[in-house]
Amino acid sequence: MKMMNKVFFLAITALFFVSCSNDDDSQPEYVPAAFEKGILVTNEGPFGNGSGNITFISEDYSTVTQNIYRTVNGTELGNIVQSMGFQDDNAYIVVNNSNKIMIANRYSFEAVDSIKTGINNPRYFMGTDGNRGYVTNWGDPNDNGDDFVAVVDLRNNTIAATIPVAFGPERMVTYNNKIYVAHQGGYGQNNLISVISGTNLENTITVGDVPNSMVVKGSSLFVLCGGNPSYTGNETAGSLVEIDLANGQVLNTYTFGTTEHPTNLTMDGNSFFYSLDGNVYKLNSSSISLPGNDIIAGFFYTMVAKDGLLYATDADDFASRGSLKIYDLSTNQQIQDFQVGIVPGGVYFNE
Amino acid sequence: MKLKGYHIFFTIFLCTASAFAQLDSIQQLPEVMLTDSKLVHFSKGFKLEKLGDSLIERNATSLTETLRYNSNIYFKENSFGMVSSPSFRGTNAAQTAVIWNGININSVFTGQTDFNVISPLNYEEIAIRSGGGGVQYGSGAVGGSIHLNNTYSFKKIHSTKVGLLYGSFATLGGTASTTQTWGDHYLNVGVDFISSDNDYEYVGKNQKNTHGEFLRFSAKINEARKLKRGVATWNSEYSYNNRNFSGSLNTVGKDGYNDIATRNLWQIQQEMGVFKMKISAAHLFEQFKYFPDSDKPLYDKGRANTFISGLQTEVLLSKKFRINSKIEYTYVTAQGSNVGENHRKTLAAVLLFNHKISRDFSYGLNLRKEFLNGFDNPWLFSADAKWDVSKSYSLRVNGSKNYRIPTFNDLYWYGGGNSNLQPETSYQVELGQEITFGNLKTDIAAYYISSEDLIKWVPISGSVWEPINIQETRNYGIEATLGYFIKLGPQHSLDFSANYSYTKAEDLEKKKQLIYVPFQKAGGTVAYDFRKLSIYAQGLFNGEAYTTTDNSSSVAGYTVFNFGASVALPFEPNLTVGGRLKNAFNTYYENVAYRPMPSRNIQIFLNLKI
Repeated sequence: MKMMNKVFFLAITALFFVSCSNDDDSQPEYVPAAFEKGILVTNEGPFGNGSGNITFISEDYSTVTQNIYRTVNGTELGNIVQSMGFQDDNAYIVVNNSNKIMIANRYSFEAVDSIKTGINNPRYFMGTDGNRGYVTNWGDPNDNGDDFVAVVDLRNNTIAATIPVAFGPERMVTYNNKIYVAHQGGYGQNNLISVISGTNLENTITVGDVPNSMVVKGSSLFVLCGGNPSYTGNETAGSLVEIDLANGQVLNTYTFGTTEHPTNLTMDGNSFFYSLDGNVYKLNSSSISLPGNDIIAGFFYTMVAKDGLLYATDADDFASRGSLKIYDLSTNQQIQDFQVGIVPGGVYFNE
Repeated sequence: MKLKGYHIFFTIFLCTASAFAQLDSIQQLPEVMLTDSKLVHFSKGFKLEKLGDSLIERNATSLTETLRYNSNIYFKENSFGMVSSPSFRGTNAAQTAVIWNGININSVFTGQTDFNVISPLNYEEIAIRSGGGGVQYGSGAVGGSIHLNNTYSFKKIHSTKVGLLYGSFATLGGTASTTQTWGDHYLNVGVDFISSDNDYEYVGKNQKNTHGEFLRFSAKINEARKLKRGVATWNSEYSYNNRNFSGSLNTVGKDGYNDIATRNLWQIQQEMGVFKMKISAAHLFEQFKYFPDSDKPLYDKGRANTFISGLQTEVLLSKKFRINSKIEYTYVTAQGSNVGENHRKTLAAVLLFNHKISRDFSYGLNLRKEFLNGFDNPWLFSADAKWDVSKSYSLRVNGSKNYRIPTFNDLYWYGGGNSNLQPETSYQVELGQEITFGNLKTDIAAYYISSEDLIKWVPISGSVWEPINIQETRNYGIEATLGYFIKLGPQHSLDFSANYSYTKAEDLEKKKQLIYVPFQKAGGTVAYDFRKLSIYAQGLFNGEAYTTTDNSSSVAGYTVFNFGASVALPFEPNLTVGGRLKNAFNTYYENVAYRPMPSRNIQIFLNLKI
């Protein structure tokens, strides 16, 4: 039955595309807030020669809608949909290679606005209360001196300030009105966390090499560092670094094996999860001892643990449509497998 | 683009200088010899097409354009003038060898030749040899090979050509060459350049092609000297390209690319009765600079030097058995920002045999083995036969095993390069028939290629990709070409040519068509000549091609038309003026997804022959 539903929905969607491309006068009809409850997957799209898009999967898994932004707005997002951030009712879709941020209502995906100036090679967006958003920018990836964090005034969606930072700023988390920026290092490698308060760079914290993912647990920031890969000629071990958010001091550093380069730290309940060498590992976040237990086999491009489930994307060969796999973390069994777009790089939720 | 002025100045200087050179011309066709003679003698059971001057001149902006309109080869061109890679019979870009005067010039780093950095006007002959040529030409001659040949002759020749071209998008081109013979000497010198702002409109999109400027400059010297029992030749070529890479429908181009190549080949041939011996030495140099931001001085760089020395002997027994053996030693040394400094030595032994059983039937057997390069080198072989069944019908058949060795990028790339890679191998068979009815000539070929251990970059963990010998493919298809020439009275003539191909190229694991291999491609040209006037119409149909490996998206098929006319001036018959209207119906088309090709545009030209 579920299958039939899916087929039916796809057929309807297909018809809908045909009708709207044949008739430019009538605006496509869509149900307001059609994407209110469910999973959003950003698909980077093919590098250089295409557009990324967003897939929506309803909360009850009954409907899958591909390319929702274009379905609603009739235009494409652009090249390399790197990530998405949220603030209030808005989704901020960071389109890296097209050098822009497309803003849409996160529930209807109706276009709201866009940011096209003041950013350069944007990577991630983090919204905060107080009408401020932060965007990490690589600038020229071969130039280690031009990286910055752009501060967006969310009232008019313009860049209000630019904060120069060390090279390769990537993901961000926020805690207590401060922004913590992981410097994964762009095309190279870096080992810093920048701490931003307002429009000022307040502090930098040295962590392991290549900090690629972060979670906040209580008053601690856990930073998963991949370590330098072997081709650098200076291979370093991956590590999990715990930082006290009260004072920015490193509390603990847990080290992986020299040739182990973990990625994708995510947290659910009292457990951490990360990817390493084709396996997903589970770690007790209250008493950390590496390595964790390998619970699921698979190479995942990104993964998010939430409410007892693991949402993991498989980008296959990066040149065909990927999939979102959902695992039940109580049994570690796969319960769902959805086809999404090309290179699914981000998983987000509307609830 | 700093050197642009210098190159243009140099071209104009040479144009002027050569125009005042020897003026007494001679119209008869001289007997010409190929520097790479084995192309003719040991390819009898293979499809070999030669593109003449008039064909080349119609599509002379780049070698991509020449071959796109005049062969079955498909090109994946990243917007006009940008990086262009071929797919010959559905094989990948590194499986088409480009052979300059008998030497494989595919890049040491990528294994490919960018067909937009080669001027089609630098050669007396461009030949397309379909099917496996691994035995004769080594790595990469899988789908087929493109031969850029310079010829020589010791007949009396005093010929100078100057051509100028101006076109839309501030396109400016110039070519000048002179060929002179005296006594035992042959000398051919030429320069060629083209530059363009390339800022065409994306038809119907209210957008322009920005940041796509290109400049190509090349110069050549070809010299031959008759010896007591043979001949000594020197072929030399220099090319310089400076390009900005254009963006696409949804990206802005920022990067730039700058490349230089020099090629030199020295050969001495000696004949002693039925024996022929050839000693050759060659040097190839390639250098590229890739600028992620063309306005900044930061770049990635690579340079490679290739030294080749060879000894070839050939014997013709009873005028029936032709046996050629060759030993060739190649030393490659390359360094690059992303691959470090590396070397490769290769010793190749080649044995070619052709037996002409009768005037109508001949067959050939060929073998090659390589040593020293560190790979598990397979024996490569090919066998071919040609049978002229009747005056109007002939059959050819060939089968071969070919390979492609990993490139320096595959082996040594920082962050992924896999030094354990082995060569890709492929087997193929082809059956062809040529049918002639009076002035109508057709060629129909069917082929099958099975390839294994194809090198594919796959994600190993996280962000690290590594090439491995994993992919298996199967290609098969048919190709048809047709030519018709008719004289309509003493002053009119009509020349018609067309080609069609159907290509199925399948990834055997996914059971899907390979990306950027259209199932169908067709082209045709009608040319009409009346006295000194010549007009032509040219059409190209390029079928839909998939852009994702699961065949979920594709770039649409397209049809474009070009028209052209030229006239030799009545008062000065050596001067020809003309024009071309390209993409006459202003069709929107993409060759690579999201990268539109030029809108309607014109070119005017002036050619002077002395």
